[in-house]
Amino acid sequence: MEKARISSIQLFLLLFGFLFGSTVILHPTSSAKNDAWLAILLGGVGGALLMGIYVAIALLNPSRTLVEILRDRFGKFVGNAVSILYIWYFIHIASLVFRNFGEFIASVTIPETPMIVVIGIFAAILVYAINSGVEVMGRLSELFVPVLPVVVLIIFLSLITTHDFTAFLPMLENGMGPVWNAAFGFITFPFGETVAFLMLFPHLNKKGNLKKIAALSALFLVVLSLLLFIMDITVLGSNLMQRATFVPHLISLLIPGLNVEPLVDINLLIGGGIKISVCIYAAAKALSQVLGISDYRKLTTAITTFCVVLSIWVYENVLEMFSWAEKVWPYYSIPFQMIIPLLLLFLSLRKRVKPSNARIES
Amino acid sequence: MAIILAVFIILVLYDLQRFIRKKEQARVFTIYVFLMAVSLAVSLLLAAGKRPASPAKWIEGILKMMGVVK
Repeated sequence: MEKARISSIQLFLLLFGFLFGSTVILHPTSSAKNDAWLAILLGGVGGALLMGIYVAIALLNPSRTLVEILRDRFGKFVGNAVSILYIWYFIHIASLVFRNFGEFIASVTIPETPMIVVIGIFAAILVYAINSGVEVMGRLSELFVPVLPVVVLIIFLSLITTHDFTAFLPMLENGMGPVWNAAFGFITFPFGETVAFLMLFPHLNKKGNLKKIAALSALFLVVLSLLLFIMDITVLGSNLMQRATFVPHLISLLIPGLNVEPLVDINLLIGGGIKISVCIYAAAKALSQVLGISDYRKLTTAITTFCVVLSIWVYENVLEMFSWAEKVWPYYSIPFQMIIPLLLLFLSLRKRVKPSNARIES
Repeated sequence: MAIILAVFIILVLYDLQRFIRKKEQARVFTIYVFLMAVSLAVSLLLAAGKRPASPAKWIEGILKMMGVVK
């Protein structure tokens, strides 16, 4: 394994940037309408527990990446097969974030520019970052991620005179059903996607801080998501929120005498950039370990090119993108985010118990 | 079409000359050529307006078949 090391703060910022990713434009809890705050809280608790599972797997298998853990627990053949599925999953996530980013920029910020040009230029920059290694990605997150909450706060405070808090009412108009559905969506996107970090956790210099880092990043995301939701619902109301394609863009247009639209783009650029970088790194690293290639950098260009093409291919239009993210993505993700990690956790715990039993018997 | 081909030729030439200089293993060449060939084929089909069924459609179809998604 490469000797790169990242500090606790760098991993925390990478995790937070990853979680924030494209959440800012996709609003995974929007189906709960004005009860989305409850879905965010419930999903946040569930998401933190799910991240806890990934952390437990990493702590039970120190200095091992996801591919190595899968091979250890499932055997070489099955482990490699499941690893290939995970490689696909990471590539798929990267493509979807590319598409979210491209769709937003090409329809809101620079509508005259073809989407493929926007995505292609973004990809070229990200390949450079990924090839520079985990340490550079960590340092970049230190530099850029603190901007995310600052931007959200600036927009929130700029709209302070526009807030209408009656928009929260009536509460639980349609019962708890939509809230549970939205909460489940919030668990799978973005919390469940942090399974990709099982390829990065071995690089942490102080493994003892892993639990704290995961819990803090989840807490920060929940707080920021609540802040964004409060801003969106009190400014637009649930009805307009449901009908708007890109809520943050609409919100930024409502600020009197200020043009904060570029700030939303910057947020998406930073969050999306970190998420794509982590996913492509995880995919390249996993593929190099499956094939026994010494350096993951040899595959990053090919994987990123494939991601860019897939991002254009995957959806026909923006409406399909939103519909798929809401209806299909949560169920498609269950095996990758929950079933296989739970199996890994069970097998890791069983292996840890077995040697101690053997010692007692002897 | 021409732009797509030009981009892919630049990318492949840049990487392959590096691989040849460093005497990379055959598996590196194989996986690289496979990913690039798939990307190029899909790109050319998209450019020609013949969109193949996307992975999102396949996944949705499989989940519908299993009864997970209505």
